[in-house]
Amino acid sequence: MTATELRTTGVAGTAGRRATRTRTMRRGRVLQFGIFVVPGMAIYVALVLVPMVMAIVTSTTDSNQFRLGADFVGIDNYLRLVQDPAFLRALGNTVLIAAVVTIVPNVLGLAIALLLDRKGWIFNVLRSAFFIPIVLSAVVVSVIWGLILRDDGLLNQTLRWFGVADPPGWVSDPNIALFTVSSVICWQVLGVCVVIYLAGLQGIPRELLEAAEIDGAGPATRFRTVTFPLLAPAVTINVILTLIGGFKVYDQVKVITNGGPGVGTTNTLAFDVVRVSVDSGQVGYGSAMATVMLVIIAFVSIVVMRLLQRREVSL
Amino acid sequence: MRRRMSIAAAAIAMSVVALTACTAGNAPTGSGEDVELSFLTFETPNLTAEYWDEAIANASAEVPGVKINKIVGENNLEYLQQLWSSGQAPDIFGGGIAIESFVAKGQLAEWSEDEIGDIVVPDGYAGMIDGKLYATPSTGSQAIPLVYYNKDAFEQAGITEPPSSWDEFLEVCEQLKAAGITPIEIGGGGEDTWAAEMVPAAIIETDVSGQDPEWFAKRQAGEVSFSDPEFVAAAQKVADLAKQGYFDMDGLSRTYADTEQAFRDQKAAMYPMGNWFAASADTTPLDFELGVFAMPSEDGRNLMPVVTGLGLSVNAEAADVDLAKQWALAFQTNQENFDKSIKADGGLVSDDFELPSGLGEAYLATNDLYRTAVKEDNTVPASWYIQGMTPPGFVSALDPALVDLINGRMTAEAFAEFADQKWEELKLEQ
Repeated sequence: MTATELRTTGVAGTAGRRATRTRTMRRGRVLQFGIFVVPGMAIYVALVLVPMVMAIVTSTTDSNQFRLGADFVGIDNYLRLVQDPAFLRALGNTVLIAAVVTIVPNVLGLAIALLLDRKGWIFNVLRSAFFIPIVLSAVVVSVIWGLILRDDGLLNQTLRWFGVADPPGWVSDPNIALFTVSSVICWQVLGVCVVIYLAGLQGIPRELLEAAEIDGAGPATRFRTVTFPLLAPAVTINVILTLIGGFKVYDQVKVITNGGPGVGTTNTLAFDVVRVSVDSGQVGYGSAMATVMLVIIAFVSIVVMRLLQRREVSL
Repeated sequence: MRRRMSIAAAAIAMSVVALTACTAGNAPTGSGEDVELSFLTFETPNLTAEYWDEAIANASAEVPGVKINKIVGENNLEYLQQLWSSGQAPDIFGGGIAIESFVAKGQLAEWSEDEIGDIVVPDGYAGMIDGKLYATPSTGSQAIPLVYYNKDAFEQAGITEPPSSWDEFLEVCEQLKAAGITPIEIGGGGEDTWAAEMVPAAIIETDVSGQDPEWFAKRQAGEVSFSDPEFVAAAQKVADLAKQGYFDMDGLSRTYADTEQAFRDQKAAMYPMGNWFAASADTTPLDFELGVFAMPSEDGRNLMPVVTGLGLSVNAEAADVDLAKQWALAFQTNQENFDKSIKADGGLVSDDFELPSGLGEAYLATNDLYRTAVKEDNTVPASWYIQGMTPPGFVSALDPALVDLINGRMTAEAFAEFADQKWEELKLEQ
């Protein structure tokens, strides 16, 4: 072997060994990535995607738990849905609850977070107090509020003591029961919004606020020009979480009003899916409802997320 | 290399742990010889966990070699169907759950005449399908509902006897109202929307099934409709009672337990409820004297709506079907279990059975009423509560409409139309 060849081999050998090492390292990282991701993906596929596809397939049949066999019916279930007054009423109720549960906790949550974004033991205590409801299960919260809000419950007894002769039927008046249920949900999720907004506020550099103050910006101007734009990621997270949660409401309706008082007053999509699929056994029709619910939630979430993410500012 | 293998081993270990955690709870293993069988029970304020545990122990003492895994759930068709659909079907169940759909799918074991021994199978028994027996006959019946009443409140209003006709019933309500006493307690709040059914069911069963015991069977065949005059008239009676102010309307937002407490607290004079209330009244005595009568019909009869439920059925795929049947029969025929069920839940029994000692006054009064009704042929099917008589989910689908009927948001005609619409939506096509 000549010196040139030796040199070439040496250089090429070093470069080659480096390339080989790089490829090996890349393959190793891919393998590590795969080992950690694949099990989770497998569980996700098995427990989420596969049932989702099965539900969509079932929605094209007249499957009924109380009867043998099921026939393919195409889109008949979906056509039935658009003409079903119970479904349309549940859809309307769900949209209303989702709107209330998105707007109220976010507005109140931001206001409370601004007030609690200070140092001091009292503010630590208050932060914990606001977070406690979200730790409780929705069923427990609903049972407690159901007892408080019934016609002869604690709230009306208190109102009567203060001289209100005929207090409202919070859960028995069909005109207000839906707002009562929405209020209970708002009460519970408010804490999540407060905590996320607090985290967002604490991520805003103080120097920016101080600079704005030095430039003569008042509190409202500082909030509008500095704080709120930089809180955009927190707003996105909170709005999406509350929106999706609002569309999926079931527990509170089931425990507090069981869909009443009266026909369809507080029925939601999720409540009707369970009622139709489980109580009545009409799994095919219930699956169609669930599929429509999935499409609505996915569409609304994507649209809202896109709109909100445009606002997000990077430092 | 060694680092890669460690990472792989850790990932595999995590996956195994995750998948193990996803596994549904494994059934506990018994001793090597015991056969494990699951038994579906349902807990109520009367039928407590202790009641079931003692009854299970009594049966297991008679049939050794069985380890019973108690499933606590609900005694209704929809719940049992959920268990079956999710692969958790119990090996033994009872509680009056309609069994036709399970029989149609070959999911239940058949009982032979030898196996049920001395238990008598009554004519027209719902557990006998196509000449084969799929559920042991129950020894007790339920009256759903009767009208329990506060005798002290009646006396205060100047009423000396319970009503024996519909006109007398209205008079009683008016007298109570004039005395400042709310006549009728109702429920229906929270999850317990079913509690609003009691008054409507009493009137429908008395007036509709009372005139024609086959009415609901005819509805199944499409020969009658809820919009027919007899049903609309019964619904109108309910609406009229509400309009006259005879109901404790606060009850519409009370749970079942709170509705009973409201009657105990004397918020109303009459409490339409199933006969199981008698057991509760004997267990926790009331502050007033209690009476009971059956809702009077238009034509002056006090008709008692009765359900004679199905006894126990066995899953055809149980680990040991023969042993499961032996255990089920022991559970049902054990004398101590029979006595306990009477005392705990107030099941009504005919003259053919001897009552245990130590029964309370409320139960004895209720059972005497039942025995008299049987002798005088004044029982009618409690069709609203006989599982299988209405489509799955029909009764619960009508509960909100009953509330609307009571609070005046729905007319009797609209309620009847709603009932027909729900029936057609929910009926199973054969």
